[in-house]
Amino acid sequence: MTELATARPRTGASIARSLAKHLLLIVASLAMIYPLVWLLVSSLRPTEVIFRTPGLWLNELYIENYIEGWTALARSFDWYIVNSAIVVVGAIAGNLLSCSLAAYAFARLKFRLRNLWFAIMLMTIMLPFHVVVVPQYIVFNNLGMVNTFLPLVLPKFLATDAFFVFLMVQFIRGIPKELDEAARIDGAGHLRIFGQVMIPLMVPALATTAIFTFIWTWSDFFTSLIYLTTPDMYTVPIALSSFLDATSGSNWGAMFAMSIVSLVPMFLAFLFGQKYLVKGIATTGGK
Amino acid sequence: MASLGAMGAGLGLAGCSRGGGGGTGGGGGGGEDGVGLTFTWWGNEVRNANTSEMIAAYVEANPGITIEEQPGEWASYWDRLATQTAGNTAPDVIQMDMAYISEYGQRGALLDLAEHGIDVSGFVEGTEASGDIEGKNYGVNAGINTPVIMVHADLLEELGIEMPDDTTWTWDDWLELATSISEASGGDVIGTSTFISNDSMLSGWLRQQGKELFVPGNEPGFTVDDIVTWLEYHQQFADAGAIPSPSQITEDSSVPLDQSMFVTGRTAMSMWWSNQLEAVEAAAGKEFAFLRFPSIAGDALQRKAWYKASMLWSVSARTAHPEESVALINWLINSTEANEIQLAERGIPANSEVASAIEPLLSDGQQRVLTFINDIVPELGETPIAPPPGGGQLSPLLLRYATDMLFGNIGAREAAEGFYDELTAALGA
Amino acid sequence: MSAISELSKLSTRRALSPEDRAARRKEASRDNKAGYLFLLPWLVGLFAFTLGPMLASLYLSMTDYNLIQTPSFIGLDNYARMLDDARLHQSLRVTFTYVVVGVPLQLAFALAIALLLDKGMRGLPIYRSIFYLPSMLGGSVAIALLWRQIFGTTGLVNQVLQLFGVPATTGYVSDPQYALWTLILLHVWTFGSPMVIFLAGLRQIPTMYYEAASLDGAGRLKKFLTITMPLLSPIVFFNLVLQIIGAFQSFTQAYVVSNGTGGPSDSTLFFTLYLYERGFTNFQMGYASAMAWVLLVIIAAFTAINFFAAKYWVFYDD
Repeated sequence: MTELATARPRTGASIARSLAKHLLLIVASLAMIYPLVWLLVSSLRPTEVIFRTPGLWLNELYIENYIEGWTALARSFDWYIVNSAIVVVGAIAGNLLSCSLAAYAFARLKFRLRNLWFAIMLMTIMLPFHVVVVPQYIVFNNLGMVNTFLPLVLPKFLATDAFFVFLMVQFIRGIPKELDEAARIDGAGHLRIFGQVMIPLMVPALATTAIFTFIWTWSDFFTSLIYLTTPDMYTVPIALSSFLDATSGSNWGAMFAMSIVSLVPMFLAFLFGQKYLVKGIATTGGK
Repeated sequence: MASLGAMGAGLGLAGCSRGGGGGTGGGGGGGEDGVGLTFTWWGNEVRNANTSEMIAAYVEANPGITIEEQPGEWASYWDRLATQTAGNTAPDVIQMDMAYISEYGQRGALLDLAEHGIDVSGFVEGTEASGDIEGKNYGVNAGINTPVIMVHADLLEELGIEMPDDTTWTWDDWLELATSISEASGGDVIGTSTFISNDSMLSGWLRQQGKELFVPGNEPGFTVDDIVTWLEYHQQFADAGAIPSPSQITEDSSVPLDQSMFVTGRTAMSMWWSNQLEAVEAAAGKEFAFLRFPSIAGDALQRKAWYKASMLWSVSARTAHPEESVALINWLINSTEANEIQLAERGIPANSEVASAIEPLLSDGQQRVLTFINDIVPELGETPIAPPPGGGQLSPLLLRYATDMLFGNIGAREAAEGFYDELTAALGA
Repeated sequence: MSAISELSKLSTRRALSPEDRAARRKEASRDNKAGYLFLLPWLVGLFAFTLGPMLASLYLSMTDYNLIQTPSFIGLDNYARMLDDARLHQSLRVTFTYVVVGVPLQLAFALAIALLLDKGMRGLPIYRSIFYLPSMLGGSVAIALLWRQIFGTTGLVNQVLQLFGVPATTGYVSDPQYALWTLILLHVWTFGSPMVIFLAGLRQIPTMYYEAASLDGAGRLKKFLTITMPLLSPIVFFNLVLQIIGAFQSFTQAYVVSNGTGGPSDSTLFFTLYLYERGFTNFQMGYASAMAWVLLVIIAAFTAINFFAAKYWVFYDD
C-alpha cells in the first residue's frame, strides 16, 4: 500500500496535503474524544462536585471513586467483569462459528428456497425487540434457562444475529469464485472449501464480527436485565446501574469510575482486533 | 474439531450459575424442606446494602427460609417486573409504588394481604390503608413521606427576603415570594422550580377545594375548569419570571436529582418528598429549610396534607408461599431490628412504636423529617386513594401540555382540554 | 484495452455438453444438501428462538393484552386505532426525519473517514481507535448526560456561541425545534461501526487493480470512481440496508437523552419509544405488538426497494 507513495518524491504540495489531512483528523479526533475525556475527568471528581463544575480542568485527583466503585457492590467489581467476559467469549465463539456457516450457504450454495430463507433472515431483525421480549422470555423460562447465561449465549451459536450473517454474505460475494473453482478442481468438497479457502480470506469480516459482538454484548442491558435476576450473575451494565437511583441519590462518581474501568476491555479488544481488519486478499490477489 | 471444543466450552460456561445466587442461600426453590422466597426491590447501592443486611438478619432468625435477592434500578425495575409477571415468574415479595399498584392490583397480580395476616395494628393513622384498592389490601406502607417545599434559606437571607410563615401562607404568597426572589437577584436565582405538572401540589390544591385527583371508579375528581385555573395561575409565574423558561423546565424534568436546578442553586425553592431530604442536602452540600405547602385559606390546619406511602410491600398473587411472604413483610414493617438497619432510608416507618424506637439513631436530617411528620398530624385530611390504572400518566401528560402552553403554542383552555381528554382516555383504556 | 478490464476477465466460457449438464445436475443436488447442512444451525435457531416469539407477537397484535391477564382476541381493532392516533403519526414523522437525514449523513462521514484512514499513514491504528470510540460509548447513560449538558441551556454549545457574540437563550435538547437534531448529531457522531466495516471492505480490494490503473495513468478521482466505488458497492449496500433497518428501530439514545419521555413535546418520540411506552408503561402490549408489525412492514418495504435498486449500482464479482 505504501509502495506507491514512497515511489514518488515528496513534493511540497504532497507534504502540505498530508499536513492538512493530519490537521483535519486531529480536530475531528478532539470531537470524538471530548466525551471520553469528560467521563474520565468526572470520574476523578467527588460526586457532588461533578455537575457543578464546568470545564475539564482537574485540581486534584479524587481516586476514592475508583476504590468505592470497586468495593461498594455486593462483590468487588472484577466479579461482574468476569461475568461479562464469560458471556462475551461465548457470544463471539457462537457468532463466528454459526454465522459463517450460514453465510457460506447463502452466498455460495444454490439450494431450494434460498431466497425465501434469506428474506426471512432479514425480517428477523426488522421486528422491534420489545414485542418479542415477553414470548422469548416464556420460551427460555420453559427451558429453565432463566438466571443463567444461556439465553445470552446459546442463540449466538444458532446464528440469530442476522447482521453478521448478512455482513459475511457480502464479504464472501466479494471473493472471486475462481478460488473456489481452483480448490474444487483439486477435489475439495464444500466443507474444505469453506474451511481452507473461505475462512482465511474472510478474516476482515470475521474480525469485524468479533469486535462488534464483543462491544455490543459487553454493553447489552435489556436482555441481561430480564434474564439475570440475581446480583451474582450481573454483567457490567447491570452492575453499573446499581449505582443509580433516580428517586434518591445516585453515586455518579463511582459509576463513572467503573464505566471507565469497563471501557478498557472494549478498547483493548478493538485495538487488538483491528490488526486483523488489515489482512485480506490485498496481498494475494491471485493464487 | 477445535471449534467444537470451543462450542462446548462456551456453552458449558454459559450454563453455569455463578455464585451462591444472592449471598443468602440458593434459588427460589429453597433447601430440602425449607421455603425459598424471591424478593425484589429498587434502590441505589445504599439501599441494596441495607436490604441485604436485613435479609441476612431475617434468614438467621428464621432457619428454613432462604431468600433470593433481586435488586434493581427504578426505571428498568418496572420493565423487568412486567416481563416476569407476564412470564409467570414474578417474585414473591415485591417493592411496589403508588403509581403502579393499581395496574398490578386491579388486574389480579397482587395478593390481598388482609386475607393472609398482615399486621398494621401499630400503624399511624392515615397509613394503614395506603395500598387499599376497592376494599382489598394490595400493599402495605413501607415508609411514610409527605410533600415539602425546600428552600435555600441562605439565598433568601442574602437577598434580604424573609422566610414565609408556612402555617399561614397561601398559593398567591408563593407566587409573590418567588417573584420577589427573581427580582431581588436580578434573575441570577429564579424564585421557584415550577410545580405546574406536579401531581402532589395539584392534589393538595384540589383537596383544599373539596376535590381529589382521582375518585373511585377510575375517574378524575376534577374538571377542565379546575385545570384552566391551575394553568392560568402558573402562567402568572411565567409572566413574572418567577419560574424557569419552558426550555429549562423540560431539561429540569428529566435530569437526576443531583443536577436539578434547585440542587445546583439556580432556583430558590422546590417541592420534594420528605424522604428525599438527605439525598438533596448531600447533593447540594448544604442544609435546607423545609416548609409546608400553602393553603387557599391561609391556615395550615386546613391544608389537607396527607401521608403518602413512599413505597409499599406487596406479594405476588401467584406466590407459592403466601404465609411466609406476609411474615417477612410483617417483620420488615413492625420489627425494630429491621428498621435499626435501614433507619429511615425508605421513609419514616409507619409503625409509630418503631419510629420512636429508632429516632435516636437517625441522622440529623432524618430526625428533622420525623419531627415534621409528627408535627403535621392535625393538618392531615383523608388519605387519597391510589391512582387508578393509567393514573401514572397524569404528570407526564400535564407536563407536555403545560410546556406547550408556556412555549406559547396553545392557550390555557386548549391545553387543559387536551390534557383532560388524553387523561380520561388513558384512565379508560 | 485497459489493464483493469483485462484482469477482470479471468474466467473463460465454454459451451455445455450433455456430460457437463449431468454433472451440473449432480452438483446442484449436492449443493442442495450441503446448503441445508450449512444452514442447519441457523434453521434450528430460527425455529427454536425467533420464529415462535415473532408469530406470538403477531397473534398478540390482534389481542387486548396487558401483560398481566390473558390476552383476549379483538381482531384488527389495534390496527384501526392507529389511524386515529395522533401521537403515532407524530412518531412516524420523527422517525422518518431521523432516517432520511441521519442515515446518509452518518454513512457519508463514515465513508469519508474510512477513505482517509485507508492509506498507510502514521498513527493509523490510533486514529482508527479514536474514531471508533464514540460507538463504544454511544448508548450509555453517561453520554446521554453529557449530551444533555452540552446542548443544554447553559451548556458548552451555548457557551461557545456566546464567545462569538451570538445570543444563546435556548437549550437545544429541551427545545422542540432542535431536540431531534441533537439526536441526529448523536447518531452521526457514532459513525464508528459503518466506518470499521468500510475499512474492512476497502482492505479487501486487491491493490493490483490500483497499480494497473496507475500504469494506465488514472488519477485519484478516476481510481475512486472506477475501482473503489464499484468494488466497495456490496459493502456500501450492506451498510445502507442495515443502517436503515437500525435507524427505524432506534431506541436507546432517544430513551436515555429524553429520559424516556420522547420530549420535549414529543419532538423526539421515536416509533419504538412510543411502542415501548404503550407496551410496558401503559400495559397495552397488544397495541404495541400491532405497532411493531406495522414498522416491520415499513422497514421491509424500504429494504425491498433497496434490493431492487441494487441491481443498478451494486457490483458483485459473481
